[in-house]
Amino acid sequence: MAETGLRIRQEDGRTVAHAEGPWVLARIGKLPALPAIAAGAEVVLDGSAIESLDPSGAHTLMKRLREAGADPGRLQVRGLADRLQQVWTLVAEHQPDSQRTPEPRRGLLRQLGLGTVMLGRHMQGFTNFVGRLAAEVYRLVRGPGGFRYREFVAQMEAVFVYAIPISLAMIFLMGVVFAYLMGVQAQKFGANIYVVDGVAAAVLRELSPVIVAILVAGRSGAAITAQLGTMKVNEEIDALSVLGLSPYAVLVLPRVLALVLALPLLVFLGDAAGLLGGMMVAKAQLGLEFSQYWDRLDSVLKMSTFLVGVGKAPVFAVFIGLIACRMGLSVARDARSVGLNTTSTVVQSIVAIIVLNAIFAIIFVELDI
Amino acid sequence: MDEPVIEVSEVVTRLGGTLIHNGVSLEVARGEVIALIGGSGTGKSVLLKEIIGLIRPQAGSIRLFGQDVWKASETELMALRRRFGVLFQDGALFSSLTVEQNVAAPLREHTDLPVQECLELARLKISLAGLPASACRKMPSELSGGMRKRAALARALALDPELLFLDEPTSGLDPISARAFDRLIRLLSDSLGLTVFLVTHDLDTLLVMVDRIIALSQGKVLGQGTVDELRKINDKWLQDYFSARYEERA
Repeated sequence: MAETGLRIRQEDGRTVAHAEGPWVLARIGKLPALPAIAAGAEVVLDGSAIESLDPSGAHTLMKRLREAGADPGRLQVRGLADRLQQVWTLVAEHQPDSQRTPEPRRGLLRQLGLGTVMLGRHMQGFTNFVGRLAAEVYRLVRGPGGFRYREFVAQMEAVFVYAIPISLAMIFLMGVVFAYLMGVQAQKFGANIYVVDGVAAAVLRELSPVIVAILVAGRSGAAITAQLGTMKVNEEIDALSVLGLSPYAVLVLPRVLALVLALPLLVFLGDAAGLLGGMMVAKAQLGLEFSQYWDRLDSVLKMSTFLVGVGKAPVFAVFIGLIACRMGLSVARDARSVGLNTTSTVVQSIVAIIVLNAIFAIIFVELDI
Repeated sequence: MDEPVIEVSEVVTRLGGTLIHNGVSLEVARGEVIALIGGSGTGKSVLLKEIIGLIRPQAGSIRLFGQDVWKASETELMALRRRFGVLFQDGALFSSLTVEQNVAAPLREHTDLPVQECLELARLKISLAGLPASACRKMPSELSGGMRKRAALARALALDPELLFLDEPTSGLDPISARAFDRLIRLLSDSLGLTVFLVTHDLDTLLVMVDRIIALSQGKVLGQGTVDELRKINDKWLQDYFSARYEERA
């Protein structure tokens, strides 16, 4: 194949541009510069040496001539093979505007304003969501027959049963680490037995509820948003509404209730695993017998410590469920939005858990529990 | 130069235990506009996916531009992919990119042109596909069904392919948009010398713009030719298919 090229010659007082070789997409990246033509000159394009021409090539050739100063309105073409002439004509008719509207400026102030408006809309949407859900709960209380037991049981399986192994493993390890680190300090004072007090309070009151809630937010919260979001994209949510079924009753309520029931149960299992982890370390590192550990636990562990931990769980669960379902239902009709909302669910849930936990801590301290 | 652009021979496909193709053979010559028809579940879309290298058939060979798709190395396959464009049924535009970026995406992957030039060529393709310049900056979710098809067509045309695959190009379009889309494809095929292979249910498309029809039935090619030639074949499905429209026209 010959080189792709464009030469300008003066013939009989006219400017003639000789194009040669293949003018195709693969070649247009490496074209030599073109000498300038007198601005607005009448130019004849001689295409008899063009071997092949595709739309990208034709477009680039036009652009080159225009940039060199040729007047596109007075450009004449000669010698192009019929087939190539068709390509040329088609492209000439569809020249895109070279003038682009400038990108909107993305200044700090604009971003700040945009963010504020979005936040406002988000809060508004959330309030609306909670209101509609409350209406749905009211309807359910008046006629409990409408509850979706199957969906609820399926959700319990997904949210609770399959989360058991991972919850047990995580909190067991937390118990191990906590007992180990406390043990190192306690040994210095010969206060080995107090490790039991520490592990019990830390695991039951803080570690188990918070870690399990974060785990569930990442695991089930994300799953709920992704599932509801994809259903929205597939118009399944619209189909439900048209069938006269409320998406809130069919999808949201069973999920939120499953979370509210599952999270305290998981926290309870986590409590047991954490205490077990502490017990192992106490024996291995501090030489504390299982029976000693158990007796100490029996005498220092108050019921209220356990209840505080398990009692926080349903509150966390409500927030995880509301955030996850609301973000799922507010997905726009594209894949990107599913990803963004899923991320947002996890972030919002974890922030909510940490903030709520702080509020609980203050309340419980003030109440002397 | 005269070798067929698409050459499918004795393809056998089994998906999930169901025999879908039982020895399908067909050829498409350069510059032809070919439509593949067949009832639901006859494996039209599957065959299309096999030809473009997405689903592997159990037996038989598929050649594009003389090269066996399923024996080509990764590099050869990449080179082959630059020579054809595909329009998927629902457009399959990347939802996180604007229309213009969608069309520029293949150019940015496969050429070393600067970004601005890619975007300019993208705008040319968008204009060729019959979309107004105002559509360039829109996100796919902001477009109507017809516009989305056109944007997807622009992306299929981005690399100036010699061969274009269309999966149900007019499904979901109103009759006016559908005919306009048919005319556009025919115009592009005629003026750019494109070979077009399309899967369709749309009788009007067959009547207006197609050179030759290939009918699939029960895992084999039932027959091929123009609408008139196919109507002579004695097959229940084909008869029903064509009579639905011809009776009211006669």
